[in-house]
Formats: sequence, C-alpha cells, structure tokens
Amino acid sequence: MTRPARPRFRLNNSELWTGAIGLALGLFVIRSGLKLKLGTINDPGSGYVLFYTGILMCLFAGSIIVAAITEGGPTFGSRWEGARWTKPVVIIAALIAYSVALDQLGFLISSIPLMLLLLRAIDPVRWTLAIPLAVLAPLGVWWVLKHGLLIQLPSGILEIG
Amino acid sequence: MDVIYNVMQGFGVALQPINVLYCFIGVFIGTLVGVLPGIGPISAMSLLLPITLSGTPESGIIMMAGIYYGSMYGGSTTSILVNIPGEAASVVTCIDGHQMAKQGRAGPALGISALGSFIAGTFSLVALMLVAPSLASVAIAFGPAEYASLMVLGLVVLTFLTQGSMAKALLMACIGIVLGLIGLDGITAQPRLTFGRLELIDGIGLVPVVMGLFGLAEVLLNTEQVIKRDIINAKITQLLPNKEDWKASAGPISRGTLLGFFLGILPGGGAVVASFASYALEKRLSKTPERFGRGAIEGVAGPEAANNAAAGGAFIPLMTLGIPPNVVMALLLGAFVIHGLQPGPLLITQNPGLFWGIVASMYIGNVMLLVLNLPLIGMWVQLLKLPYNVLFPPIILFTIIGVYCSSNNVFDVYVMVGFGVIGYFMRKFGYEPAPLVLAFVLGPLLENNLRKSLILSQGDLMTFVERPISAACLALALLLLVGPLLPAFRKKRELVALDEGA
Repeated sequence: MTRPARPRFRLNNSELWTGAIGLALGLFVIRSGLKLKLGTINDPGSGYVLFYTGILMCLFAGSIIVAAITEGGPTFGSRWEGARWTKPVVIIAALIAYSVALDQLGFLISSIPLMLLLLRAIDPVRWTLAIPLAVLAPLGVWWVLKHGLLIQLPSGILEIG
Repeated sequence: MDVIYNVMQGFGVALQPINVLYCFIGVFIGTLVGVLPGIGPISAMSLLLPITLSGTPESGIIMMAGIYYGSMYGGSTTSILVNIPGEAASVVTCIDGHQMAKQGRAGPALGISALGSFIAGTFSLVALMLVAPSLASVAIAFGPAEYASLMVLGLVVLTFLTQGSMAKALLMACIGIVLGLIGLDGITAQPRLTFGRLELIDGIGLVPVVMGLFGLAEVLLNTEQVIKRDIINAKITQLLPNKEDWKASAGPISRGTLLGFFLGILPGGGAVVASFASYALEKRLSKTPERFGRGAIEGVAGPEAANNAAAGGAFIPLMTLGIPPNVVMALLLGAFVIHGLQPGPLLITQNPGLFWGIVASMYIGNVMLLVLNLPLIGMWVQLLKLPYNVLFPPIILFTIIGVYCSSNNVFDVYVMVGFGVIGYFMRKFGYEPAPLVLAFVLGPLLENNLRKSLILSQGDLMTFVERPISAACLALALLLLVGPLLPAFRKKRELVALDEGA
C-alpha cells in the first residue's frame, strides 16, 4: 500500500498565515490576562477568563498551523480567483473616507457623495437614476429620523442637517 | 385554564393598535429582507434595534420577533423564483422549489411553502405556550454552574454545526469571548482591553459588530461577484396546491414541524440546520428519492415547515433561561436589555403581559404573513427584479445610520467598518462569523457565571460535574468536541454543517 504524497510546503499557504495571526492574537490575550491579574481559583481575577481563553486560542491556532503544514491549503491568490477584488477595495476606501468625514462635514454632505460613488463606481448605474437616488435616499432618511423619530444625525462644522 | 387566561391576556396586549402596527411593520420588513438576497434577518434586526427604543418594550420586541419569523417566509420566494436563497434557512428550498418553478409549478411551490410555514409556525407557538412556562419553573433551580455549562454547550454546538474546520470555528468563538470581555469587569470594575479609549469603557456594541460582520461583509462579498439571476418570468397562477400536492406534503410538513421545533430549542441549533435536516429526512424516507432535486414538492414542504417551526422553538431557551440559542436570538436579547428587561425564568411570572403579548402577536403575525405571501406575491416578484447595483448603496447607507443611531457616536461607525473588513477577510479565509457573534454575547454571561460558581464552590471544579444538568451539558459538549476526531462522526458533521452567514 502506498502512502499519499505529502503536500509540498508553501509559504503563501493562506491557512498558515491566518493560523499565525490567531496565534499572535492568542499570545496577546494571554499577556493581557496576566497583566490584569489572574487571581486564584477561589477568587478569580479580571484576567482569569482572558488568560485561559488566550491559551485555548493558541491551541486552536496551533492546530490550524499544523494542519496547514501537514495537509497544505489554498494560496492567497486562489482565494480571489475569478473575483473582482478591486470592487470591495473601492468600497472599503470610500467607507473609511466617509467615516472620517462624517463628524466634520455632517451626514448630508458626506452621504450624498458616498452614495453617488457607490452607485457609479462599482457596477455603474445610469446617471439619471444614480443622481436622484444619491440625493433623495440620504435626504429622505435624514428627514424621517430628524422629524419622525427625533434622532439627530451629525450636522458637521457647517451645521447642515 | 391558566394557559387560556394567559393567552387572552396576551391577545389583550398584542391587539392594541400600536402593537398590531409594530407587528405588521416587523413581518413586512421580515418578508422584505427574506425576499431580497444579500440582506438577512440579522442585518435587518440590528439595523432596527435602536428604533425599538422609541416605543414600549412590547412593541419593540414584537417588531423584532416579526422580522425574524417573517424572513423565514420571505426567503422561500427568492429561492423558488430566482434560485438564490433570500436568507440562509432557505438554501435547501432552492433545490426543488426552483425546479418546480421551471416546470411551471411556481404557484403550488410558493403556496405549499407559505401554508406549510403557517402550519409549522402555529404549531410551534402552541408548543412554546405549553413548554415555556414549565421549563421556566425548572430553570429557577439553575445555578451559575448550570448556566456556565449550558453556555459552553451552546457555543460548542454552534461550532460543531458551522461549515468547515472546527478549529477555526472554535478560534472564532474564543475571539468572540475576548471581544465580549472588552470594557469594565462586571465584578471588579477594572477596565480590560480598552487601550485607554473612553469609547471602549462600556465595551464594544453588539450592533456595530453584527452589522459589520454580517451586513457590510456580505455586501463586500456580493460586489466582487457578478450575480446572475435566473428569474422565472411566467405569470404565477393557481397558488393553492392541489389534492395530490397536499397528500404528498402532509407527512413532510408534520415531520418538518416536529423536527424543526426540537432543533430550534437546542442551543446552537436553529432554522438553518432544521431545514437541512428535514430535507435529508424526507429524501431518506421517500420511496422515490431520485425525484429530489428535480422538483419534488416534499423537498419544499418539509424544509419550509422545519425552518418556521425552529424559529418558534428558538424563543424557548431565550425566554425561559435567558440564553440566546443563535445570533438572531442574541439580537433579541439585546432588545430586551435595551429596555432594562432580563429574559429568564422570572420573565413569565414578573412580566406576563410582555411574554404572552409576544406569543399572541406571533399568531397575528403568522396570519399577516399568509396574506403578505400569497395574495401579494406579485409585489415581491417585482421587487426581485431590482438589480443589486441599485440595492447595495442604500443597504450600506442604512447600515451606517443603524449603527450611528444605536449609540449616537461616530466611533461605532469606525467599529462597524473595521468589523466589515474583518468579516470580509474571515469569509474569504473560511472563518464563519456566527460563532464569534454568539460568543461575543455569551462571553460576559459565561465569565460571570463561571467566576460566581468558582467563588461559591471555593474553587472546587467538581461543582460542574456533581450537578446533573451541568454534567450532562459538559458531557455532550465534550462528545461534540472529541467526536470529529473519529472519521465516521466527522463525515456526519460535514453532512449537517451549515453556513449561517447569509
């Protein structure tokens, strides 16, 4: 009986690196637990559960790493095969910029460009639909929240909204 | 007699005009999010969680519950007509439901799905009424050790049922516990993992975490794919199933209802696993299993009954023990907590109006859903024609607003975007978010009960084994943890594994 060939170890194995991130997080949680004081088993301290959860995290992450080394796993590239990866990147970048602008510019001024960008940059919607939707959706929601539910959305330094 | 009196009292609450309105809004939104692919009940409930603040606890919780069971109804419409599950519990319905639609039998498929759901939903409510009060009286005897063990079991069951590697699911559950512990320690008031940020003193909010991991991450995943929809364009006629359809569906509906109800009660279980289990059961029991996958009505009736019965059953652990068995119930727990209420064994005796009002509202909601899903089916079909590129920007906008309104703090929008990105990468690398979210909710409760039981037992770990309920929970959890190491058991797990993401 022949044993199945062992998969070739590859550094771009995504399982290996996600396991390594889990391990690093586990070690960080253990350290945080220790810093917070473990207490005793009769009187567990603030770090008690954190410390043991960290140990479990290291164990599970370790088993993911071992499986990645012994059984192999998909590469980073294969995870995005056939996917339009630039689309989520654009959305994430837009949302980060939006989060920063929200407090400064206020809800209305920052939401309208965000909507327009999302409607036009991902799978372009025709302008005649994109512009009214980008303006009316934030405006409608703002009106309902402000006048109907008495919820104040950020108005920004210009105090619009 | 008590039950009848209580139900009448419940209807007194549920039939108040404002509660009828909230119930209608809930089931309408539930059907809407069920019908629309890419937004599920979890996203919708977290989006509307802050709105529950504006009304009475009854109104808010009636609406939230309506979204949940309403989405179970709506999800089947998309599965049958478009072959895309509207939400995770309707994945199985795609298999035979869409085939029936292709053969010109979309009407009976939609009809049996709505009527089967109604029957199962009504049965699960009757069972909820009968089981919950007796279980609550038993649960009063539960101590911290029982609660801690039950929560461990709930987390292990969910990780067991999650698709893919169990080590990954367990790692996610641990991360969820850690995230849940951020903020002030409930016993010593010491800040933990706050990194000196005042915003983290009260911990991370449930809404931004859930909206990020489920709402935003789902949108990011959907936009990177070209979604092709195979919509059935033929006019839908004759929604009521004929005699043969009823004959074939009666057994699957009854079995699906019972199976779904019991799987719904189990911590970590729920509507998704119930629908898969019912499909597998019907296929195994059928004399002509080769018909499954080619438009067998049993493959629609059973799973649809099962997921609705499970939705009703899932209320039992939350209402009687205060333990949410799944992520949706965790959000409902959030709604209770927002109103200063603690679901658990004392809820039924201390707040009978609330408990029985919610139960009675579900009867009303089920009737509303039947009307929404049968005569108004044409409206939902029109909605399905909305392209995703028009749909997702408003979804993102509503997500942001929902998160902001939950705390009136822009910091939560950062948290949501952060968790959205994390959730996207998690899905890409095969890490399911459901165990993380359930552990996030259960983490502080688990820690509290664990520490209390250790203090009460003076550090004696045997307290978890000497108490029969606690011992049984831990034994079952251990079996589920060790089981996948055995090849036969692992194969079984892969068969029932589910994706709760949608």
